[in-house]
Amino acid sequence: MVPDINPVVLLFASVFTSNILLANFLGMCSFISISKDMKSANGLGLAVTVVLTLTAMLNWVILQYVLIPLDLLYLRYIIFIIVIAATVQILEMVIDRVSPALYISLGIFLPLITVNCAILGVALFMQIRNYSFIQTVVFAFGSGLGWWLAIMALAAIQKKLVKAPVPAGLSGPGITLITIGFMAMAFIGFSGMLNVQ
Amino acid sequence: MDYLTAPIVVAIIAGVLAAAISIVDKIVNNYGEVNISINKGKKILTLNGGDTLLSSLASKEIFIPSACGGRGSCGACKCQVISDVGAYLPTEIPYLDKEEMGKNIRLSCQVKVKSDIDILIPEDLFNVKKFNSRVISIRDVTHDIKELVFDLQGEEITFQAGRYVQLVVPPYDKIKGTTQRAYSMSSKPGDKNVIEVLIRLVPGGIATTWVHTHLKEGMEVELIGPFGDFERSETDAAMVCVAGGSGMAPFKSILYDMFENGDIDREVWYFFGARTTKDVLYLKEMMDLDAKWENFHFIPALSEPEEGSGWTGETGMITDVLDNYLKTKIDTDKAREGYLCGSPGMIAACNKVMTANNIPLDKIYYDNFA
Amino acid sequence: MKMTPAMKKAQENMAPGIIIAEGFLGEENKSIKDMMVRDESEMSKAGLTFDKVGERLSYLMEEGRKGLGEPVTVDKKWLVRVIDPRGKLPCPFEDGIFRKLSAEIELKSSGEKILVTDLSIHLLKQHHFIEGEGSRFRMEPEIIKRVLFA
Repeated sequence: MVPDINPVVLLFASVFTSNILLANFLGMCSFISISKDMKSANGLGLAVTVVLTLTAMLNWVILQYVLIPLDLLYLRYIIFIIVIAATVQILEMVIDRVSPALYISLGIFLPLITVNCAILGVALFMQIRNYSFIQTVVFAFGSGLGWWLAIMALAAIQKKLVKAPVPAGLSGPGITLITIGFMAMAFIGFSGMLNVQ
Repeated sequence: MDYLTAPIVVAIIAGVLAAAISIVDKIVNNYGEVNISINKGKKILTLNGGDTLLSSLASKEIFIPSACGGRGSCGACKCQVISDVGAYLPTEIPYLDKEEMGKNIRLSCQVKVKSDIDILIPEDLFNVKKFNSRVISIRDVTHDIKELVFDLQGEEITFQAGRYVQLVVPPYDKIKGTTQRAYSMSSKPGDKNVIEVLIRLVPGGIATTWVHTHLKEGMEVELIGPFGDFERSETDAAMVCVAGGSGMAPFKSILYDMFENGDIDREVWYFFGARTTKDVLYLKEMMDLDAKWENFHFIPALSEPEEGSGWTGETGMITDVLDNYLKTKIDTDKAREGYLCGSPGMIAACNKVMTANNIPLDKIYYDNFA
Repeated sequence: MKMTPAMKKAQENMAPGIIIAEGFLGEENKSIKDMMVRDESEMSKAGLTFDKVGERLSYLMEEGRKGLGEPVTVDKKWLVRVIDPRGKLPCPFEDGIFRKLSAEIELKSSGEKILVTDLSIHLLKQHHFIEGEGSRFRMEPEIIKRVLFA
C-alpha cells in the first residue's frame, strides 16, 4: 500500500529528520573525501541532487512497470545500478555539450556519483516504503538536498577546523568522523517531529 | 520458460540504456565538420569537431609545444584564439595572467573545437614536423665530434638559420625508454631536403653515446623540428659570434646562409675556441669563407696548441682573445651584438666579457643547446 | 645486514628509473651497506682514503670548469674536460641537489680515463659510496689510484 504522507511533509522529513547521510549514513565515502573545501562540496552536492532525482524517477518506472509485474524484484539491485550508471553517463555528455563550464566544475564528481550508495539507497527505500511516483520524486529530491546540506555544513566546519589544531593522531579522517558524529547527534534532535518511515 | 525472463529483462533494459547512451552520444557529440583557420586564413584545416584544439591540430601535423601531453598540468600549450570559444575554464585560469586573458590566449589542450574557430600561432609552428629521416652520412670532423646528415625522404624542412631539431633516440642496451635531445642544425635553410647536425660525444651521455656507437648510415631516425628562436637580428650591427666544439653548428648554418644570399655587407666576427688543432672543425672551410668574404673574420683560438703543430693563430682562452679583440680590433663606435653557442659556463663567461665591453645584455643572443 | 630506514630509502632511490635511467647500482643486487663495507676495504687496500680522493676530484673538477666545455691540462698531468649538460639531480640519500656536471679525467701519461660527476663526488665524500660494479660512474679504487695518484 502507498503510505499516506503529504509530499511537503515528506520533503522536509527527507531533508532534516531522516537525512539520508546523517540518519542513514549513506554516501559516506565521497562525503568524507570531498568535504575539504566549500566549492567542490557545492559542486558535488548539486550533482548528487540532480542524479538522485533523475535516477529515482527512472527506477520507479522500471520497478512498477517491469520488475513488479514480472515478479523479478530480486533483480532490483543490478537493474538500479545499471540505470544509475547509464543516467550518469548520459548526463555527463549532455552537460559537456550544453554547459562546458558546469561540466568542468563538476569534473570528476559526476562519474564518482555512480558509486555513491546514497543514490542506490534512495532507490531501495522508495521500493521498500512503497512510495508513489510523486512521493518518490519528492523523497529523492529532498534526500539530495539533505545530502547537499550535510556536505556543505561539514565543509564549513572543516574550514573552521583549520584554525583549531587537533592532536596529530586525530587529524584527517579521524576528526572528520568525530565531526560527522556530532552532526548526526544534532540532527537526531529533529527526529520525532515528523515520521515518514 | 520462466527461467529465461530474468536474463531477457536484464538484457533488454541494458540494451535500451546502451542504445540511449549511443543515441545521445551521436546527437550531443556530433559537431560535424569544422574549420580551424590559422593566422587569418593562412591555413585552413577541416576536421571533425569535438576534440581538443591541441589534439585536433596535432592530427593535422601542427605541433603546439606541450610538456604534459594535454593533461592541463604544464600550461605550455598556450594559443591565441580570435573567435569566441566560450568563457575561460577553471582548468585554464591558473596558467594564464591578466595580460594573456586580455589577448584571449587559451590553453589549447582544454579548449574544445566545437564550431569554426580562428587562431593565431607563431609562424614557426607551421613548419614543425615529424620527419622519418634516413642517415645518409656520418663523418668524423674531429676525434669526438661527428657530422651527421639526414635525408628527409621526400619531405621538406623550412627554417631560419640557427634553429634546432629534436632527435628521438630509441631504447638501446640498458636504456629502456626513448630519449629526445636537441641539436642545432648546421645545414643551410636553402637545403630543404636534408638536415645536418654536429654531435659531440659526451662521456656517459645517453643520446651522444648512441649516436657515436650505435647509429649507422642507412638507419632511420625520427627528427622533430624546427624549434628555437636563435637567429641573426635584422639590424646592421656587427655580429660578434663565439662558439666552441659542436657550438659550431648554428654558426655554420647562419654564415653560409648569409654568404650565399648576398647578405655580406654586415661585419661578422667569429671566435672559435678549442684546445688543440685536433679539436678545430671545419678549419679549412671557415678560412676559405674568410678569404672570400671581406667583412667576415674567423678567429680560431687554441688554449693548448701542440708543440710543433705550426699553429700561427691566436692562443689562450677564448674569453681572453675575445676581450682583446673587443677592446682593440672590433670597431667600438659601431653597434655590436653578441651571438653565443655553448655550455652555460661558456655563455656566462662570454656574457661577462661582452657586457664589460659595452655590449648590453639584451643584445647578446644565445641558444643553450650545442 | 641491517639497514637504517634512510639507507633503505637511498637504496630504493638508486634503482634504475628513479633518479637516473640506469640507476646507481650497476649489475649488483646487494644491499648498499654490503657494497659500502666491501668498497671501504678495497679503498684501504689501495691505500686511499675517501677524503683524499674526494679532495683531489673536487680540485680537478674546479680546474676543469675553467675550460668552458673544452678540455684543460691540469698540473701537466691530467687532461680534464668538464661537460655541463644542464639540469640537476638529487642525491639518493636526499641531502642535496647537484648540477649534472660531469668530468672526464685522463691521465696523460697512460691515457687511462675516469668519469666523475658532481653527484658522484658528493656520494664518495659524504656517503663513502662509489656506486655498484657495472655502473657507468663507478669509481673503482684500483683505477682511481692509478689515475689520480700516479
